[in-house]
Amino acid sequence: MAMVDKKSSAGTETVVPKQTLAKRLDRIQMHIRREWQIYLMLVPTILWFIVFLYKPMYGLQIAFKDYSIFRGIAGSPWVGFEHFGTLFTNDQFIRAVKNTITISALNLIFAFPAPIILALMFNEVLNASYKRTAQTIVYLPHFISSVIIAGIVITAFSPTAGIVNTVMGWLGIDPIYFLTQPEWFRPIFVGTGIWQEAGFGSIVFLAAIAGVNPSLYESAVVDGANRWQMMWKITIPSILPTILIMLIIRIGNIMEVSFELVILLYQPATYETADVVNTWVYRQGLQSGQYDLAAAAGLFNAVVAFVLVMTANTLSRRFSRTSLW
Amino acid sequence: MSGVKLEGIVKRYGAVEVVHGIDLEIKPQEFVVLVGPSGCGKSTTLRMIAGLEEISDGECRIGDRLVNRVAPKDRDVAMVFQNYALYPHLNVAENMAFGLRIRKTPKDEIAKTIAETAKILGLTEYLERRPADLSGGQRQRVAMGRAIVRHPDVFLFDEPLSNLDAKLRTQMRAEIKRLHKRLGVTSVYVTHDQVEAMTLADRIVVMADGNIEQIGTPMELFNNPANVFVAGFIGSPPMNQFEATLEDSDAGPIAHANGTLIQLHGQEALRGSAGRDVIVGIRPEHVMLSAEEGTASIPIELDLIETLGSEALLHTHVGDVPFVAKVETHGEIGHLQGINALHVKPARVKLFDKETGRAIGQAA
Amino acid sequence: MMNWNLYSRGDKFFAIMVSILIGMFTVATLYPFIYIAAMSFSSGFAAQAGKVVLTPIDATLEAYGYILKDPQFWISYRNTFIYTIGGTVMSLLFIIPGAYALSRPQLYGRRTWNLFIAFTMWFNAGLIPFFLNMRDLGLLDSMFGIILAFAVNAFNLILLRNFFEAIPQSFEEAARMDGANDFQVLWKVFVPLSKPAIATITLFCIVSRWNGFFWAMVLLQSEDKIPLQVFLRHTISNLSDNDEFAILQTDAGFSAETVTAAIIVCSIIPVLIVYPFIQKYFEKGILLGGVKE
Repeated sequence: MAMVDKKSSAGTETVVPKQTLAKRLDRIQMHIRREWQIYLMLVPTILWFIVFLYKPMYGLQIAFKDYSIFRGIAGSPWVGFEHFGTLFTNDQFIRAVKNTITISALNLIFAFPAPIILALMFNEVLNASYKRTAQTIVYLPHFISSVIIAGIVITAFSPTAGIVNTVMGWLGIDPIYFLTQPEWFRPIFVGTGIWQEAGFGSIVFLAAIAGVNPSLYESAVVDGANRWQMMWKITIPSILPTILIMLIIRIGNIMEVSFELVILLYQPATYETADVVNTWVYRQGLQSGQYDLAAAAGLFNAVVAFVLVMTANTLSRRFSRTSLW
Repeated sequence: MSGVKLEGIVKRYGAVEVVHGIDLEIKPQEFVVLVGPSGCGKSTTLRMIAGLEEISDGECRIGDRLVNRVAPKDRDVAMVFQNYALYPHLNVAENMAFGLRIRKTPKDEIAKTIAETAKILGLTEYLERRPADLSGGQRQRVAMGRAIVRHPDVFLFDEPLSNLDAKLRTQMRAEIKRLHKRLGVTSVYVTHDQVEAMTLADRIVVMADGNIEQIGTPMELFNNPANVFVAGFIGSPPMNQFEATLEDSDAGPIAHANGTLIQLHGQEALRGSAGRDVIVGIRPEHVMLSAEEGTASIPIELDLIETLGSEALLHTHVGDVPFVAKVETHGEIGHLQGINALHVKPARVKLFDKETGRAIGQAA
Repeated sequence: MMNWNLYSRGDKFFAIMVSILIGMFTVATLYPFIYIAAMSFSSGFAAQAGKVVLTPIDATLEAYGYILKDPQFWISYRNTFIYTIGGTVMSLLFIIPGAYALSRPQLYGRRTWNLFIAFTMWFNAGLIPFFLNMRDLGLLDSMFGIILAFAVNAFNLILLRNFFEAIPQSFEEAARMDGANDFQVLWKVFVPLSKPAIATITLFCIVSRWNGFFWAMVLLQSEDKIPLQVFLRHTISNLSDNDEFAILQTDAGFSAETVTAAIIVCSIIPVLIVYPFIQKYFEKGILLGGVKE
């Protein structure tokens, strides 16, 4: 005998014919009468985005124009891809692109693992107040302005007064004027980045570690694992999705080197290794007034960055979906 | 006090229709419970009455006023939400006063109303507390207080007890009933719990898949379910249902279910419909242990006895279909062990058409 | 799970090693600040000779005397306060109502509006078009221009929108049935319920305004409008580029290094004062920002 079907009526989904225009208008009118306030709240923000972020996108057309201040953006004549031709034959620009990628790669190798290692170490500290104090201190540099960071670096690496040369003096090494030496720029820049951001960056990984199911550790203890093994066998695999997502985001931002700090630390003597796309754009455009050429370089940078970010987003979305545990 | 009248109410989300044209008239001061499984459209219907969902088609009236296009605040209704929606940053008094303050009610009047309401609900000592410092039952009361102070025409309840534990739920159920008696405000109450519906309602509206299955008083639904859905939904444990074929006999019609014969004396209307496929419904409470005059007997094999104290549930089966009987124990279960037949009065046996699921042959 | 008494000897050794490494990193983080502070209180001669390591040498307040006497220091300090307070208020005026509107399910074209905003996080016109736009708007060398042009930040907007979206809908519905309009729902219900998120955003705004440098340097020409960071930068580059200054001032008890250090200390102090308040929120805030587009 079959089970008695308790459902009494037909299914739920019914296709409804399209509404008439009059009914639609009527509904829109009613909607606005009821909800006008949220549109009023949205208007300032949308206007702000149009005026300060979308209007400049319209201005990007000067990358394809022979821009002159007097004729304005719309009035300047089109020149097609001429500026891009100029760019790709410009040694300084090509050097800037290479420098950007090199510095990002160095950041990826040296600066990216730092917060992960730090988070793993924080996780092993037992004394809560010791941990708390250390965290408070290592998060701090994130909140310090680049100007101050640069000021500290300049002072510390100064050839006569700086602590670095003082210590080298104790060891019998001749003083070096670090900030004028091209080969020293990148180590100093990447090292400064680690000093400033490793602590703050560890927050995300600490949160991921906090999300690991404690019973995993308990069963590992019962199985006789030591802390070192637990770190490798439980903690790291558990936070791997977070690590990968952060890595993908980082790769998406390869074109974004914190150029504010570069401007503050570099000088003509170190352009060779320090000059990145945005600092080059800054000098060409804002200091030398070659707006159109600089805008073309900026557009190139933005398009590459956009493609990278979108690819990274797609990857991270795909990854985070499959990685849900 | 106003009643509520729904005529042909339809709700669509884009192309998907979730409520298929509901007609319902709620009389002033009546307590009506909408009950049904989740996704049956009961909450949507309530929210359309509240004005929180747009009505796609049909008319909703509160009193004599067509309210389809009236904003929630102007409908003169108050609602108690499932999660209470108490503002955590305000204390009990401020929570209850919120609506009155927005409506610019004079301060002394607010104070008076709050004091009165708090007294009714036994919240007077908690007025200064924040929701986080209250127990579940107290929060529930504050949520009701917030609705009461507005003196609305209609109370709407959206599963207000589902966040409470079983004991508290029973207690609050009685309290809501008392409150309704005292205030006499027209109430529409949504729940998926048929026990709540049975205990609270003047009338119950059973819904499924966006349609109304049956409207009636609790006892009407219990005794005369209009179809197999209502039969299975109302009552606990639910009505036993199994398929059978009608046959004629000298003593009257007989339902033949896979070897089990059940005599249907008195249901003379069925005479001559031999061969019809039906679903037989028997409530667990209507089964007797001993035969009386004219009862039909069902031979059984006992699978399991569940003891509840004053009652016991006998688990058995008709063919392959589980069959449950609820019998009194009189403090003793030894005599239940050897049972090999159950008895039922033919008039208690409900028949439903197998095709449509509708009740057959009932003098409704 | 972590109980010292249950640790094996190996585990104890491991934990102690890690604690020592953490301590070293912490000291390394802290040391530059101590070094700069010590430098700022040292004599110019000691500083130039590279004698300052941990504590002030020939302690003196001359470097502070030098900058505190400079009227430009006070002007830029005041300006930074104006930019920080004005900019933060301006940001909240845009972001709070904007985030509320974007979080409402009944908003028509909600997906499109959200995409419109998120797109600016992925694609940016760049320095030059932004600069030319500011010039066309007549906002060069304008304090109001700085305050307005950096008022909204897609990240903060989305962060608050996500927080608003997580507030159960029944709060809004209950308020509506009580007769509240959208402004009342926002002000009396959503804002009080979102204090942690709003505090986080406020602090992010304050920090970024206080530290803002690049655009202030590019957009502002008048000395009386520049913020502290730009003044600091000018001073540092003037001092280090100007050998005569160094020779001239060493006798006076301060040097380029000690003056730089003193300005750094002066501009860090407000950050250190608000830091404990920030700390309460940013750990939470950074996780709130689990930005979904």
